[in-house]
Amino acid sequence: MTFARVLAWLDDKSDWLSPLVVKEVRQVVRGREFSLSFGASLVAGLSVAFFGATDAAAGGTAGRWTFVALMACLGFLGLAVVPLGAFGALRRERLEQTFDLITLTALSSRRVVVGKLLAQAVRLTTLFAAMAPFVAMSFLLGGIDFVTIAISLVVLFLASLWVCALCVFLSALVRSRALSSVIFVGVGIVVLFVFGVAGSAFRAFSLGVFFAATGGPSLTASETFWTLAIGTTMWLVTLINLLLLAVNRLSLPTEDSVTSLRLGFLAQLLLLTGWTLTFLFDPPGAAKSAGYALAVLGGLHLTLVAVFAATEGSTVPRRALLRMKSPSLEGWLIRLFGPGGGRGPASVILQLAILMGALAAFPINDDDRRAFMASYGYLCFFVGVPTLLFRAFLPKYATPFRLRVAVLVVLALATALPDVLHYLIRQPEILDLHYSARHLISPFRTLANWQTVERSGWELFPLAAGVTGLVALILLVPAGARQAAEDASINPHRPAPAAGEPGRADLIY
Amino acid sequence: MSDAMVQIDGLVRHFGGVHAVDDVSFSVARGQVLGFIGPNGAGKTTTMRILATLDTPQGGDARVGGYSVVDDPEGVRRIMGFMPDYAGVYTNTTVEEYLDFFARANDLRGEARRKAVEHIIEFMGIGDLRDRHVESLSKGLKQRVALGRAIVHNPDVLILDEPAANLDPRARIELRTLLRELAADGKTILLSSHILTELSEICDAVTVIERGKILATGSVEEILQRVRQRRLLSVRLAGSNERLERFLVEQPGVINVHEAGPCLEFELEGGDEEQVQLVSRLIGAGFAVLEFSAHSGGLEDLFIEITEGRVQ
Repeated sequence: MTFARVLAWLDDKSDWLSPLVVKEVRQVVRGREFSLSFGASLVAGLSVAFFGATDAAAGGTAGRWTFVALMACLGFLGLAVVPLGAFGALRRERLEQTFDLITLTALSSRRVVVGKLLAQAVRLTTLFAAMAPFVAMSFLLGGIDFVTIAISLVVLFLASLWVCALCVFLSALVRSRALSSVIFVGVGIVVLFVFGVAGSAFRAFSLGVFFAATGGPSLTASETFWTLAIGTTMWLVTLINLLLLAVNRLSLPTEDSVTSLRLGFLAQLLLLTGWTLTFLFDPPGAAKSAGYALAVLGGLHLTLVAVFAATEGSTVPRRALLRMKSPSLEGWLIRLFGPGGGRGPASVILQLAILMGALAAFPINDDDRRAFMASYGYLCFFVGVPTLLFRAFLPKYATPFRLRVAVLVVLALATALPDVLHYLIRQPEILDLHYSARHLISPFRTLANWQTVERSGWELFPLAAGVTGLVALILLVPAGARQAAEDASINPHRPAPAAGEPGRADLIY
Repeated sequence: MSDAMVQIDGLVRHFGGVHAVDDVSFSVARGQVLGFIGPNGAGKTTTMRILATLDTPQGGDARVGGYSVVDDPEGVRRIMGFMPDYAGVYTNTTVEEYLDFFARANDLRGEARRKAVEHIIEFMGIGDLRDRHVESLSKGLKQRVALGRAIVHNPDVLILDEPAANLDPRARIELRTLLRELAADGKTILLSSHILTELSEICDAVTVIERGKILATGSVEEILQRVRQRRLLSVRLAGSNERLERFLVEQPGVINVHEAGPCLEFELEGGDEEQVQLVSRLIGAGFAVLEFSAHSGGLEDLFIEITEGRVQ
């Protein structure tokens, strides 16, 4: 086989790859950034290997610290350098005015986002491969076992890929060049922070968890692998959700990018719930800790979902409307989890019910349970009530963006106004900022002073706020369905309302 | 129009209070080359971006090859090539790689992809540039590569937004030649340009838009005839013009009679019928008419005639 035929054969095989991967790899290998990072990784690897070999020659077991040093180098590349490149991936497409050109091709938003991530995966693989000989050397130097090396590399690779997915999402978030630069700097700082945290986590993990697999006291081997399996599943689900968020951001308003996102976030909650429920029959301490973990992580998940889903538009895009009529599984899923028509608030209520139902099974302290319920109640109140009032009295202005701003403004007012009004009305000589009944409207202060609330018997207020919020969310469901039905009856062939730009985040989640 | 390859019906697109596209309707027949003209901010680019599925309308719909830009943008993209008013090039990418990427992105595979890229390189006459980096090319060559990118998947419809902007005369002539070849190949082309002389040589018809509204559609002559209340005529006699000038001044509907070299130029109020009557009267009065011509006016005349130059 001649060289030209080999090239043609390779060229044919490259059709299996995403076009974006092929293009990015071609660009990257000629770019200065890659040459620098690749060269730096080789220099770092060689230096570490040199010192390791010197130490080994002097009779030490240098494998372990050599490996840790190599992982630090790889961590820097995988958690800082490559993710920053990932952040630039879509940003550069916009700056170079090539994003529109990609949109015009047969590549869907999903293929674009996945292609961008795969291109980063190729970069990561190249850098990991460059370090592989040095890592192998650390094994030969002794002091570290193969399983630890393999698991550490896989975990670091997956963590790097996750951070890359986050950066691709952030890169898809804004179109404005100025805002993009602000986010770029912000991401840089966060990545450095993550690198610091990840370094500490890695040290703790490598010395505790992984070595425990070889007989240490902290976790048994099966527990370690169980934890890794759950962690990997969570990694996969959250990574897919990040990609779906990016796809949602890049999609045209007429496309249905909501159904998959809603299902993804539901799967995320179910996975979190399932994971914590596995601890239910463990000793009470572990079950209790799992309950707290579910309450906190589930609460954060629910906050994200509620803020975006409850405030989404009621209109059902025309293409989603057409697909809903299909008797297929897709049509059935869009009818249940699709965009508009009050399905957003309905999904919030569903996830709240799942979370509260699961929490009921855990042996959590009663006062803590009431505090968690109060926090969910406040969430319903501050998302549901402003949205409902806005929709009822200012329907023309009730765009998703404005509703989200309204939620934040009402929350800020609830935090600041009690003291301001107290000062203006009562005009005390000294403004007492200590927590009191007037602060019950502020969720942050109330939850931070929950013991005072319990001692003073003020639980009724958070309860009333929660019930009001829940009722508001419930009322938003038929209101949304009515609005969607009205829209469809006015003009069944109307186009979907257009956003200012192709792509938007108003149907995020 | 049943044979319409591009059909726009009541398209609406607002940006806040600005009505960029306000109930726009027109069509482009299969194989037609339609010039889309209007002052800056008239709504040309917005209309073209909607047709290219890069934006969505707030009202109305548009169909390209029967596919709705709202309901089936994927179908539109399969048969449409769009060239925006910017080149959009990648760094560290050669011309061949650039075209290869867009061929792949348009789902061309293996031999079909390689053939498509080779065909475009040959058709666009950029064989010498295949290994040059796209960002290092001149503006004219970048436009050429961009046009190649737009047609790499052999689309039936081409939408070109200001393809000749900022090009030097030679590059403009080359681009015009390429567009002529594409039109001869049966492509339906909708293109906007400020260089009206260029358009008039390529286009079968024009659509004029201003402040988001269509002012006129048709061939340049048709539109001028429709909008003009009077036409500019000139007569040249075998002998002296002195008697003719007096004669013309006395004719109904004739104004502004003046000498223009060996001819007499004048304006006639009315249409074809009035012109025929005037010619009959001239011959009947015994004038030895050597030349009689009507200045139909070009695209520039039309543009000035029917647009007001107002922006939103």
